Amino acid sequence: MGKYIVRRCIQAIPVLFGITIVVYAILLAAPGGPTARFANNPRVTEADREKFKKAWGLDQPVPVQYCRWMGVCNPDNEGLAVFISDNGVPNFLPAAVGGGTNGILHGDFGISISTGQAVSTMIARAALPTAILAGTALVLWLLFAILIGSYSAIRRYSFFDQASTVFAYVGYAMPTFWLGIMLIFIFSGPGLNILPAGGMTETRLSPPFGSDAYWTYFGGHPVQAILDIGKHLILPVITLVVVNIAGDSRFIRASMLESLSQDYVRTARAKGLRNRVVWFKHAFRNAMLPFVTNVGLEIPFLFAGAIVTETIFSWPGMGRLTIDATRDFDYPLLMGVLLITAVIVVFANLLADIAYAVVDPRIKY
Amino acid sequence: MAHEAKSLSTPTGSAPIDVEADAIQAIGMGIAQPDDATALRREEAGADYEVALESLNQWQLAWRKFRHHRLALMGLGILASFFIIALVGPIVWPFDFNTIPQPDVIVYQGRPPSLVHPFGETGGLQRDVLNLVINGARTSLFIGFSSMALGVLIGTIVGSLAGFIGGVLDNVLMRTVDVFLSIPLLFLILVASRFFGNGNVMLIVMIFAFFSWMGIARLVRSLFLSIREREFVEAARAVGVRDRRIIFRHILPNAISPIVVSASLIVAANIISEAFVSFLGFGVNPIYPTWGNILSNALTFIPLGNWWWPFFPGLMIILTVLAVNFVGDGLRDALDPRTRA
Amino acid sequence: MTAEATVAEISVTIGERPAGTAPGEDILLDVRGLQTHFHVMDGTVRAVDGVSFSVPRGGTVGLVGESACGKSVTALTIMRLLDIPPAEIVGGEVWFDGREILALPEEEMRHLRGNDIAMIFQEPLTSLNPVLTVGDQISEQVRLHLKVDKKEGLGRAIESLRTVGIPNPEQRVKQYPHEMSGGMRQRVMIAMALSCEPKLLIADEPTTALDVTIQAQILELLKAVQERTKSALMLITHDLGVVAEMVDEIVVMYAGQIVEQGTAEQVLTRPMDPYTMGLIESLPSVKKRGGRLSAIKGVVPSPFNLPPGCRFAPRCPYVWDACRTTSPELIPVGGHGQRARCLLHTPAGAPRRAAVFDTAASSGTTAGHGA
Repeated sequence: MGKYIVRRCIQAIPVLFGITIVVYAILLAAPGGPTARFANNPRVTEADREKFKKAWGLDQPVPVQYCRWMGVCNPDNEGLAVFISDNGVPNFLPAAVGGGTNGILHGDFGISISTGQAVSTMIARAALPTAILAGTALVLWLLFAILIGSYSAIRRYSFFDQASTVFAYVGYAMPTFWLGIMLIFIFSGPGLNILPAGGMTETRLSPPFGSDAYWTYFGGHPVQAILDIGKHLILPVITLVVVNIAGDSRFIRASMLESLSQDYVRTARAKGLRNRVVWFKHAFRNAMLPFVTNVGLEIPFLFAGAIVTETIFSWPGMGRLTIDATRDFDYPLLMGVLLITAVIVVFANLLADIAYAVVDPRIKY
Repeated sequence: MAHEAKSLSTPTGSAPIDVEADAIQAIGMGIAQPDDATALRREEAGADYEVALESLNQWQLAWRKFRHHRLALMGLGILASFFIIALVGPIVWPFDFNTIPQPDVIVYQGRPPSLVHPFGETGGLQRDVLNLVINGARTSLFIGFSSMALGVLIGTIVGSLAGFIGGVLDNVLMRTVDVFLSIPLLFLILVASRFFGNGNVMLIVMIFAFFSWMGIARLVRSLFLSIREREFVEAARAVGVRDRRIIFRHILPNAISPIVVSASLIVAANIISEAFVSFLGFGVNPIYPTWGNILSNALTFIPLGNWWWPFFPGLMIILTVLAVNFVGDGLRDALDPRTRA
Repeated sequence: MTAEATVAEISVTIGERPAGTAPGEDILLDVRGLQTHFHVMDGTVRAVDGVSFSVPRGGTVGLVGESACGKSVTALTIMRLLDIPPAEIVGGEVWFDGREILALPEEEMRHLRGNDIAMIFQEPLTSLNPVLTVGDQISEQVRLHLKVDKKEGLGRAIESLRTVGIPNPEQRVKQYPHEMSGGMRQRVMIAMALSCEPKLLIADEPTTALDVTIQAQILELLKAVQERTKSALMLITHDLGVVAEMVDEIVVMYAGQIVEQGTAEQVLTRPMDPYTMGLIESLPSVKKRGGRLSAIKGVVPSPFNLPPGCRFAPRCPYVWDACRTTSPELIPVGGHGQRARCLLHTPAGAPRRAAVFDTAASSGTTAGHGA
């Protein structure tokens, strides 16, 4: 098992490397480059633009820029010495053994063009809200998809099954952001107005989320603070999970029906087992096998959904950061966000593969 | 008697291939020389009647099965009417950015649906929402379907190359697909639309196509790998049928139905993505109505209770996606030889 | 002498009993006029259409016929394992161990399954759950029916694996089905079926999916355990060669109906129905060495479009006009408990009878087969 995990991790490295190239290539190919944001600003002169380029290392050849960003090249050196750190060892090695400190290999994602803060700091600050939102959504998504899906399969063609079929079709066709808008209208609009339309905390009650003052407040009134976040979570989470629940309840229903029609289920019934045991011990376990892989593949959609949801509900997470970075042509930030997201997705798939190997005895590792 | 009944009731792949495979088999058995392959096929023209009958039957069968799928038929109806609306609507009732219905009356609140304006009126310039939705249909549907077509084309080519040539090329292409699929595609579409799109519809279509071929490529490649191993392709190879011919005559016809089904999913995804990208202001130039742009403009009016403004374009998106999904379901059942009419 | 005794016993057991009354003590399973239909989109399939037969305690009965003749549906109806709908048990009774089990509440039926009636299926790979160890799959049944704890359940699982000749059962219980060979898996299925010492064992094509060399081993094993445990055996197969060595009594089915029944000796040496004759003729045998193997011409009729008269008429070599209009009944033939469903054995068929049985009967004994 340990060997299998190590092997899969090693296999993920080229993919991660490929991702850095794709991310870099896309941004590189963009017309105008990072200075495009000044293109229409009459107060920024050509000289200013050159100064900007120089400051961000944009005057270097592309491979050098990429290598600097990666942390393979040392920006302080010239010529072949770029690969050598200030301590005289290859620059890509960890700083602890004398390697460089720049580049993503050393956790340095650069400095945001629009805010001037370190990208890693901005991402770290946005990570928690997204983790709260996506984590809650993931739990509810799996829970409801499994419950609805397996119950529909067991009670096939019942009223519940038909209702969930309608829900699944409509839910799956619904654009996430439209659902969000409609939910805001219903629950936060002029009519009901019982739930907050956006944000993560009630700004009148507490300091902004993530600030030191907030954590002091949180320490003082933990229950109140959690309830407050919970209240703000309701609409975004619903918005985020409906599509996933709709799609996956169908998936589980089909998978469950498939395993219910298998010979081993007939054998189990021929043994005189209770229906409950037949369903949940024999059919359900087999039905979950394809779903495990499917969940891994759907993690990207959860993140994509998070961008949408965070935008609509002003949730201060990674999705918002992505939109802001895209709007402002904030290259370092955008690359950082894309890279981190891709890494999370790669590891989610890795986790799904490992989980699959654990639950299916037929997989050899 | 028994044999005849069997061959009629077994829906095989497309009939012309079978005839050729038969011919090839005959060659393999030493009945004819490879050079005679064409002649032999021509000689079998006697069987042409049966072939035509069977291949007709296969599509007739598919149509019959499709027709029995009530939801698919409904979906096809919805799609057809939306297409007509998208084609004719803007001619009959065009949208012009500079034409403001009531230039002298500018109010902040929109007006709810009424008999004259069944979808209501927007806030601000008091445009008719129905007019916006009709004119938006053209762009939204165009982007959804043409980006799918382009994406399927790219995916089929890449998948065919990877599956047929294999080796290093296969490895490089498939790892590229892995990389693309590891990044949430919506991120890339968003970024690319913002950086390259310039609000231009054709550019948006190309961007969407560029990010929707990976699934198809994977699918086509796996089909190639599995079909390549089948006897009739090996037989064709053995007698020296050219690769290009094998691809177009033997493999792609067998790959059509799974491609069609995943294409329907791409259309649905791209229509939603277009709306989203436009909604964020990175898509089609906001002065032109698309379903996403209408939603985007409506967002600030939500707190005022102008529900009809975002509701109707959203409903159109849902209906379109539902219809596409239904048609996809129907096609899947109809093209699957294992299901019965 | 022993042959005479068997024949006499059979003639008693096959006789029809009035509906609603229990069969005699010596009868374990009594199926009467069973009708199972399937309601599907294209219409109703009468998969089992008035089937009656019985299995004595400790006895062995073979259910024979081509695929889709209703053998397996009969077995699944007895086990009440069919999904209702689309299936519907339209009529008939199934008496097991003195009780009419079609009317039993599901909960009581569940206690019979696996405990008193056990079933072995055709495909051992798909019939075993791939994600559970074989030990778990056997012991869950033991624990359920015999109310023993986990440890003893596993002990019994090991014991029953040993009974079916699986070496090293202590290790095998921890294995998953995919780690075993096909023959080994079928042994596991048999071990599972026997683990609660059932009164009736239903084996549905137990060897069809196995290699020929393994088939004989599994049949031998089945025979051996059946004799040792004294459980009754109902063997379902399309292969007359298999039943010949395994069972006392044979029931031949065609298109949902029984076309012939009798002792194994009767049916195999003096078949009275043209369908059975066809089945026997298609068997390879030493006698026919060098000759051509014949197959029954044509295919089983579509269940939606059964022929109006005799269901075998379109394929029957001895067919005449009456066969296409009159449905024959299952009638006693030969006076020793054998029954056949063929117009040849009615007065109308009398003129043709001699010719048919002169040419077809391999034993050449045509005398005394009149009705």
